[in-house]
Amino acid sequence: MSLLPAPLEPVRPAFLTRVTPAARLAGGFAWLLVAILTLDPVVPLRLLAAGLVVLVLWSGLPLRRVPARLAPLSLAIAGLVVFSVLLSPANADLDLPTLVAVGPLRVTGPALLGGLAIGLRVLVIGLTSLLAVAPSDPTSVADSLVQQWRLPDRFAYSTLAALRIAPFMAGDWATVGAARRLRGLGGGGPRERAAEAGARLLVLLVSAVRRAERMALAMDARGFDSGLPRSHYRLLQVGWRDWLTIAAGVAVAVLALVLPR
Amino acid sequence: MRQRPVATALPGPAAEDERLADRGAGRHRAAPAGAGAPALEADGFGWAYRGRHRRALEGLTFRLEPGRVLLVLGPSGSGKSTLARALAGLVPHVLPGTWWGRLAVGDLEVAETPARVLGERVGLVFQDPESQLVMARVEDDVAFGLENRGWPTAEMRRAVPDALEAVGLAGFERRATATLSGGEQQRLAIADVLAPAPRLLVFDEPTANLDPPGMYATLARIGELASARRHTVVLVEHRLEAALPLADDVLVLDGAGRQLAFAAADQVGPRTAALLAGTGAWVPAAWAGWTAGEAGRAPGDGTRASAAGAQLSGAAEVVVSVIDLAVAHPALGGRRQAVAGLTFEVRAGERVGLVGPNGAGKSTLLLAVAGLLRPAAGQVRLRPPGERDALLDPARLAPRPLAELVGLVFQDPELGFVGRTVREEVLASGQRVRGGPGPKGRSDGGLAHLTSADAVLGRFGLAALADVDPFRLSQGEQRRLSLAGLALRPPAVLLLDEPTFGLDRRGTAAVLDLLDEHRAHGQAQLLATHDPRLLPACDRVLALADGRLVFDGSPAAFLADPPYRPAAPWQEAATTATRAMPAPATAAMLDARHATPTPELL
Repeated sequence: MSLLPAPLEPVRPAFLTRVTPAARLAGGFAWLLVAILTLDPVVPLRLLAAGLVVLVLWSGLPLRRVPARLAPLSLAIAGLVVFSVLLSPANADLDLPTLVAVGPLRVTGPALLGGLAIGLRVLVIGLTSLLAVAPSDPTSVADSLVQQWRLPDRFAYSTLAALRIAPFMAGDWATVGAARRLRGLGGGGPRERAAEAGARLLVLLVSAVRRAERMALAMDARGFDSGLPRSHYRLLQVGWRDWLTIAAGVAVAVLALVLPR
Repeated sequence: MRQRPVATALPGPAAEDERLADRGAGRHRAAPAGAGAPALEADGFGWAYRGRHRRALEGLTFRLEPGRVLLVLGPSGSGKSTLARALAGLVPHVLPGTWWGRLAVGDLEVAETPARVLGERVGLVFQDPESQLVMARVEDDVAFGLENRGWPTAEMRRAVPDALEAVGLAGFERRATATLSGGEQQRLAIADVLAPAPRLLVFDEPTANLDPPGMYATLARIGELASARRHTVVLVEHRLEAALPLADDVLVLDGAGRQLAFAAADQVGPRTAALLAGTGAWVPAAWAGWTAGEAGRAPGDGTRASAAGAQLSGAAEVVVSVIDLAVAHPALGGRRQAVAGLTFEVRAGERVGLVGPNGAGKSTLLLAVAGLLRPAAGQVRLRPPGERDALLDPARLAPRPLAELVGLVFQDPELGFVGRTVREEVLASGQRVRGGPGPKGRSDGGLAHLTSADAVLGRFGLAALADVDPFRLSQGEQRRLSLAGLALRPPAVLLLDEPTFGLDRRGTAAVLDLLDEHRAHGQAQLLATHDPRLLPACDRVLALADGRLVFDGSPAAFLADPPYRPAAPWQEAATTATRAMPAPATAAMLDARHATPTPELL
């Protein structure tokens, strides 16, 4: 019973694993912009196709595990699509032909297309984020954001430390549940179960704060955030791969937008 | 002030156990005479954390010369960790409170020097490896402290491998920190503080979370660092048999954080030993002869192991029956070792010690016996009290009947608290009986319950804290409360995961006293521990390795020939076991014997 899906890491060297995270984020940003700004399903469909090509050929990620990683997002997308289609104002336009009718519910062609477009856009956003972040370990992402995007050290490395603690919290959650079950808690009806889940979450939060305090003290003892300018052990250098990634990302985004549909 | 002491010859490629053993003798002379500034100087130093009435430390006055090793001794709550934090400047610069007197590291006054400057001089290693490693990769973690201080990249590239090499982790640069064993993680933590080349190294119970091999390897590295004499070392450590030989000087604190003694380790006599014993702290075996027997008796000397061992084995019924158990899918947080082919029984009134290195499957086994993990093969059966024939599968029981039958004390007591106050925590076990049909339909009135709850709290020294939030208690208090929570309605089977973790000698004896009482009433106990000092108090020992049962026999047989190689870590720890624990005693006896030393003693 784990709270978090296992993080996705590259399993073989590939083009994108040698690109700095900042460049991948820059290229991906063009895609996100285009995906957010368009309303028809064609443009996100093109980006999705391009994203899948990149994923298969150049990401180095284990393909079989990608669907599981995107599963929580897919659930959200499914809900989004259903509601967008059913609640679309186009369904109220009596001039449009009815595609499907169930009782009082009526779905028209434009409503369906609009709903699908929304779903596709969210899927493109998810896939693009995965391609931008997953091919490097979290430390490189933080290094890149600090060195190339000038994010504050304090924010980037604190987030990193928090990420390192997260798996322990998943273990704590399971332990809290086990401990409370052995004190005779956890049975009963839905109300008791809801109250029990709340109590369990409270214990988890307290323990998370304790962990964070210990970690913060250890970081302080090692001179973190002491006011000195921080130096970098891993220097990220921008090379031709980075420029190529940014250029290709922007080019694909523009093409997806302007090609005749 | 940075005069480099002349290093004694390194022991060379001797086995690690020899290195540890060698260090006691002959080395003290090599320490530089106290010329120039001391490495460490305290003069009337005291500290109280904000919001606490009591001072954590009071009246510390001592001088430590450069290159020497100071071992800090004292019971739980004596301020040992606070002293470690003060040396690194976390007290007073990060943690708020009130400061008295003077504390200086070299020529730096701690109270007036920013933590950043002190941090360059002092390296502090904490107890818990999980929460002091910051980065996901080994080399990044070592570099973290250097980056914080703005070191040039080229210098870091040299310093990182050097620091890893010094702790025996050369070649580990690209490994993920999460894949290291506990001992390796703790050595990495040492490399982290070594890299910036500090002059003072402070270790705050660096081996408390480690299994015997991890403890052994970590203390061996600390010993090597100490014998190179490039650093002054302050060591807070519970495992005294391995730590005392490293020490040049000892500082003894009492339960209120006051200095009882400061002396060269080889000049400690009966007086200091008696003072230490009087605080309830662990006492080194080498000193135990001076302490009027109270700290020098083996817990297993006939009295602690169930007196009726012989009559038990035949007659007592089997309460826990595990047959060919396999737990294939390590669930519950995803960090559990699978186990396979486990077969054993625990009888009523029997205490079984469960040992093994980290990752051997001890926790998995405890959880499976508690019915919290479903077996992939084989079976776990528990016998409810009073039943002659029925054996139940705990995995099929609803929470309430399950709690009647089996209790589990987790290593981190905090995660198991269910009450909002200390009293509620103890009552919770009684309330569930009122809610559901108990096996015997006992009818305690509400008032009777309250009275007995307060009696339980009194026994555990928690009476004054009855209305306090359990999360606000100290570590030792929380551990006592986790046991008190099971006292009102002791389950037929009690599972314990490191029940004496972080406790001093008196706390450990109190836990064992309570367990003895329940065992005398027929409770079956399965006790997982890294501390071989507890094994003589068990009736039997089960040893696991890689998810398999590799030993099932008497504690004496286990300590004589542990089923692990190298065996030395398990045996060395065992020598501690046979001498440094008091014989069983009632709470009243304990109080009398551990009372503050009388003036005559001084």
